[in-house]
Amino acid sequence: MKKKLNLAPAFFVGPHVILFAVFILLPTFYGIYASFTKWNLMNEPVWVGLDNYKTILFDNGSTFHTQFNNGLKNTFIFVLLSVPLLIVIPLLVAVALEHKKVKGKSLIQSIIYVPGLISISAGALIWLLLFNKQLGMAGNVFGSDVSWPANQPYAWILIIIITIWGGVGGNMIIYRASISGVSQDLYESAEMDGAGTIRRFTSITLPSIRFPLIYTFVMTTAGAFNVFGQPLMMTDGGPRQSTHVLMMYIRQLAFGNGESIAGMASAMAVLLGLVILVISALQYYVMNRNAA
Amino acid sequence: MSNQVAQQYDKRPRMKEHGAVKRKNPGTNISKYISYLFLIVLCIIWIIPVIFGITTSFRSQSEVVSSGFRLFPKEWIFDNYVSILENTSTAPILRWLMNSLFIATMHTLLVVVVISITGYGYSRMKFKGRDTLFFTLLGISFFPGVVNLIPSYKIIDALGWVNTAWAMIIPGLAGMGNIFLVRQFMNGIPKDLDESAHVDGAGHFRIYFSIIMPLIKPVLIVCALFSFTGSWNDFLWPVIVFTDVDKMPVTAGLLLLQDIYGNYRMIGQLMGSAVLAIIPTLLLFLFAQKYFVQSINLNSGIKG
Repeated sequence: MKKKLNLAPAFFVGPHVILFAVFILLPTFYGIYASFTKWNLMNEPVWVGLDNYKTILFDNGSTFHTQFNNGLKNTFIFVLLSVPLLIVIPLLVAVALEHKKVKGKSLIQSIIYVPGLISISAGALIWLLLFNKQLGMAGNVFGSDVSWPANQPYAWILIIIITIWGGVGGNMIIYRASISGVSQDLYESAEMDGAGTIRRFTSITLPSIRFPLIYTFVMTTAGAFNVFGQPLMMTDGGPRQSTHVLMMYIRQLAFGNGESIAGMASAMAVLLGLVILVISALQYYVMNRNAA
Repeated sequence: MSNQVAQQYDKRPRMKEHGAVKRKNPGTNISKYISYLFLIVLCIIWIIPVIFGITTSFRSQSEVVSSGFRLFPKEWIFDNYVSILENTSTAPILRWLMNSLFIATMHTLLVVVVISITGYGYSRMKFKGRDTLFFTLLGISFFPGVVNLIPSYKIIDALGWVNTAWAMIIPGLAGMGNIFLVRQFMNGIPKDLDESAHVDGAGHFRIYFSIIMPLIKPVLIVCALFSFTGSWNDFLWPVIVFTDVDKMPVTAGLLLLQDIYGNYRMIGQLMGSAVLAIIPTLLLFLFAQKYFVQSINLNSGIKG
């Protein structure tokens, strides 16, 4: 029956394979290749081996080295501050919403989800106004007379606030769906055994939503390493480069107005990619093993 | 889909029932109040910026500067919106909104076509190396996207797409996430359905259109909603790809506004622009709320 070459699958799968090759596969390989070259986006890349990496990682006198270290440090600060909150708060919301006697669930869920639909640039404008020294809440409600985006630790607090505000909804909904999938019998029999709220949470809810937890933890962390919009809009990297994250340096070097150094930026991108890859794998490995 | 998820959970070993006497649980009421308190405080914090942003767009500059933090304006004015819409030279926000609308709509339509056709291929057709191909692409797509950012720009440049909508519409179609979801969903549809249609002489296109498409509508709607909002709110890529003010989508435009409306000297205009930029996704959410929440079950399907 199947002797004839069947072209139908190629029609169904082929177009996407081409898209994938052009917009993911090719640029990924080219990005890795470019990291070993001297390149400024216009010229042909010139192979320089590990030179970019050596400069970035070890050349104390080079601005690339300083920028990379500073960018990576700030990116890590962002990840460490934002990820725990982006996991714990949505989980608490989902659990609180699961409470049988709580009314108005869909309204509450919508209110918490809506900021996730607001773009970083629009959200940032609103929060900047709210925390404007003269005009917003920071001065009038909290009585603070510092400019938040221009001073630490306020700049970080502001960036974290807008991140949490926009990011809690997505994870919350994943947790809600997962928790509502847990069989009610489990809870009922646990309740009959006298298990309290906390016990039910640790013994039933948490183990039951293990996979969504691992999934959101890994994805949220990987996403946080790519942070770019919040610091760009809120602080533009300041004060004194303290919120200048790695993605901002990568974009500046590759596409900036001055001399663009795409090879160096590519090497930084590969290093950031490796950090993300290693940490994701580690998270997955550790959590999966502990939970098993 | 939600049934599938539920079934999956029901397969878990159940906790042994001891047949204990039902005791009154004193924690229930306390936990109810704690839950309420927590949720209400959170809702207030979450909604205030949205309300404040919207109402500020109806305040006069003098009120913003003089009256401190008030949630609602003393006097509602519309001048800010009039002046935003009139400023077509430095901040053509209507233009930006139309650009965003075109980009997000085209992208969404193409996403639906590509993922349904591709998902059909990977789920309902038999060909050699099908699963190997699928999982290889899926594996590669997990590689952090930051690595392909700079070369992607080079490719867009080579295609002549810098400063054009295509730069935003096409590359996003290559992703594997939605295809994964669609394939998962399609795998849940009984094979007998298309096999009997096949026996009756229907070809793949026929089966795809008349049998599979109607059945996968829920997952397609969800993917469409997320594609639209994702495309509408994208920030990094448009900031890189667009230098021409007239061509950019509204997210990139708002970055310029911080300078154009002078360091918060024209706050009403700034907020009005932000409000205009969020209206479409908010409206979409209001109309399609149940699908946004349904999504969710589809998302959690990933945990497999």
